[in-house]
Amino acid sequence: MAKRVTLAVAGSRKTQGIVEHCARLPRERRVLALTYTQKNQCELQERLARYAGDHLNIEVLGWFTFLLRHFAKPFLPFKFPGERVLGFNFEGMPSRMATGKARFVDKSGAVYRSELGRLAFELIAASQGALISRLEGIYDEILIDEVQDLSAYDLDIVDALLGSAVDLWMVGDIRQAVLSTNGRSAKNKKYAYAEAINWFRSREKKGLLAIEESAVTWRCHPKIAAFSDIIFDPSWAFPSTVSKNDRTTGHDGVLLVCSEHVHAYVAQYGPQSLRHSVASAKNLALDFMNFKVSKGATFPRVLIAPTSTITNFVRGGVSMDAIAASSFYVAVTRAQQSVAIVLDDPGMSRLPYWKPAADLERD
Amino acid sequence: MIKKIRVRGYRIHRDLTIYPNRKLNLIVGANESGKSTLMEAIVLALTGRINGRSAAEELNPHWFNAGVVADFITKRARGEPQRLPEIDIEVFLEDAPELQELCGAHNSDTPTNACPGVRIRCIPNPDYSAELQAWAKAPSRLLPVEYYCVEWTTFADARLTMRPRVLATAVIDARTVRSTSGVDYHLRQILGSQLEPQERANISRQYRESKAALSDSAFKNVNERIGKLHALLHEQPIALAMDQTARTSWEESVAPHVDGVPFTMAGQGQQSAIKIALAMNKHAGRAKFVMIEEPENHLSHTSLTRLLHRMEALASDDQQLFITTHSSSVLNRLGLEALQFLGPTAPVKLNELDPETVSYFKKLPGFDTLRIVLADSIVLVEGPSDEIVFERVFTDLYGKRPMACGIDVLSMRGLSLARGLELCGRLGKKVAALRDNDGIEPDELRKPLAQWLKPGSREVFIGEVAHGRTLEPQMIHHCGEAHLRTILGITDKADVETWMSREGEDRGCPAHREFVGAVHASGIHAPRRAVHPWLSG
Repeated sequence: MAKRVTLAVAGSRKTQGIVEHCARLPRERRVLALTYTQKNQCELQERLARYAGDHLNIEVLGWFTFLLRHFAKPFLPFKFPGERVLGFNFEGMPSRMATGKARFVDKSGAVYRSELGRLAFELIAASQGALISRLEGIYDEILIDEVQDLSAYDLDIVDALLGSAVDLWMVGDIRQAVLSTNGRSAKNKKYAYAEAINWFRSREKKGLLAIEESAVTWRCHPKIAAFSDIIFDPSWAFPSTVSKNDRTTGHDGVLLVCSEHVHAYVAQYGPQSLRHSVASAKNLALDFMNFKVSKGATFPRVLIAPTSTITNFVRGGVSMDAIAASSFYVAVTRAQQSVAIVLDDPGMSRLPYWKPAADLERD
Repeated sequence: MIKKIRVRGYRIHRDLTIYPNRKLNLIVGANESGKSTLMEAIVLALTGRINGRSAAEELNPHWFNAGVVADFITKRARGEPQRLPEIDIEVFLEDAPELQELCGAHNSDTPTNACPGVRIRCIPNPDYSAELQAWAKAPSRLLPVEYYCVEWTTFADARLTMRPRVLATAVIDARTVRSTSGVDYHLRQILGSQLEPQERANISRQYRESKAALSDSAFKNVNERIGKLHALLHEQPIALAMDQTARTSWEESVAPHVDGVPFTMAGQGQQSAIKIALAMNKHAGRAKFVMIEEPENHLSHTSLTRLLHRMEALASDDQQLFITTHSSSVLNRLGLEALQFLGPTAPVKLNELDPETVSYFKKLPGFDTLRIVLADSIVLVEGPSDEIVFERVFTDLYGKRPMACGIDVLSMRGLSLARGLELCGRLGKKVAALRDNDGIEPDELRKPLAQWLKPGSREVFIGEVAHGRTLEPQMIHHCGEAHLRTILGITDKADVETWMSREGEDRGCPAHREFVGAVHASGIHAPRRAVHPWLSG
């Protein structure tokens, strides 16, 4: 392994792939596993402890911690002599006009999250090679999970890693690019979100990395997998998902539920309810989880409260923009056996409706 | 490997920068020049500890450079917003892959430079800034260290709590025996590094088991008895068992034995020799840095020679040695090129010395090289007679002995003048050399020395051939034979030159001392006199 990226579909056991890869590595190999979300970090740590617990040279870090510990902290003096990183400002942002030190660091010396990527990237060049050779001395291999979430300067940092002696394996699902590390940055906008795939393809052309695609899902039922494939406009040219979930439960696939039946449905099947955000589906009193938060999770069944974009897509096949498609894709592909979408007016949708047994009898 | 050490504000060192040699560093200096302080500073930065205790625990007002503190007090008194005194010790390491975790730009280099390194600082604790401001209104020489904190970090600005594994350091202090109770902290570190982790775990387990077994067997009857007895008082039975807490771990109960004798009962010289051998012994976990204070202490000349020989044999590229010494034998034997001289103004290194000169001095373990190193200025003379004559002439002229003026008169006793001048030249010492012409023109004699000569700082003074080959005929020439015969009481039958050569070597001879006086009184011993204004100039 030198430099490669695995672009996979949801449920293709990406994280498990990383865990098993780590378990197979020689014990003395120094590995850094990077993830983007806190949740994924805990998940990875917990699974590594289970499968590769005897491997003491594997370190799991969040992306921001990585940039702080190995970029910003050691090398800040190259940009601002005599200065130290005294903290991390997750929420705040510099004023739009801020220049120099104030651009990156707040009054108490904490680095703005929104500027950390840029700071880290600029320090690579400022350190005259010391930064990358330091990483080369510390790690033999860097693994990046959820690579689709990196954007803007993060991708430039990945570029620098591609040019280093450290082995690099990135794993991600372009279709799941729900989160962006930096919402405001204009940098690399053309690569933002699902267009990240083009970023990898251009690196592949230069011979900097190898792209592997994996279209096999172990999680989603074939009907769910087929539905997930149509969420994205065919122009994306994503390969079709192949399902290896051959379980049948008698209630499998994608279906619609009228709002009046939601409670009966929930009572009968106990799905995990998903919504876009706090602002959506206010009329339903269910124990919701937001789409973003559900990333990486697996549930036997899910119930989705659709946004208007999703409703339009389901009713009339109106194609969604990349961001909306990504987030809906994440929601749908959480499920193993069934996806229920709350929808009163089916429009042209041919998806079946679920009805409570009593209603069925009445029909 | 340590490439650079910078010590600021620590004890005697106000701002000291040293560039150590890759393998061996012989730290030499006059008393109070800060050799031990430098060693302490290095150990502090590498291990965060001093004499086995954490720097924060040991921090005291005397750690701060007196000059810095005095400046602070004066300037504050004048109302200048002077910064509070700080201590900053930086150890710059080579840019090796295994040290990269320590790499970063948080060091005092300008322009900004990233390299692996560690740094320990004693700085005002921001939590107590109000208290410090209050104190600074009427500061005293004793800093309020309770308002200071010790910050031990890597150059990557990561705080250190434990010594990084790559910075394994062994400290051997032969000056005093620290611990009377047994094995001291430093020795325990050295011993610990000899064991593989599995061996260590195994010993630890067996030790615990055997202690448990003792509780079950030897204490059984006792416990049955006191169990009954105390149960009446406390409701719960009481029993004796071996202490299994960390305080009584096997490390605390183990002592090395030398030929069946406990280590601490062995002679002091032997103790330090064993420590050095253990620390330098080739094994995986051995120290990367070995600090040895005055290895010559408590050792006879023969034992020292054996130890030095051993050290030379064990020295290798992956271990950097720092040795303080007051012994010329150590200096000559381990190699002059390793010298780090803590001079009165700036430290001096000798690494440009001709390798042949280095090996030349190795063969002269008895030559007092350190005198050359430590002296302010030097007069090199051929032998004891010249030494006495010079001393006397100087004393008569200036009313003080040369030593009192920082001039060391050194008899070469066969040392090659070229080697001596090269050494002085590299050390930047002012030197005057006096030699016999042995029948050769002085200009001819100066030729091979030319590269080491520098008018005004390194010169050779030689008597003219016409005035005689050596000291004695030169004396006769300058004083006049009749004059000498009278003063020295030489009969007409004896030849003056032969008499002088034979009797003159006897330095205790009263006649000789008189003779020296006479020589000076006559005021004509030209080459020797020529040195005086030169030296005082």
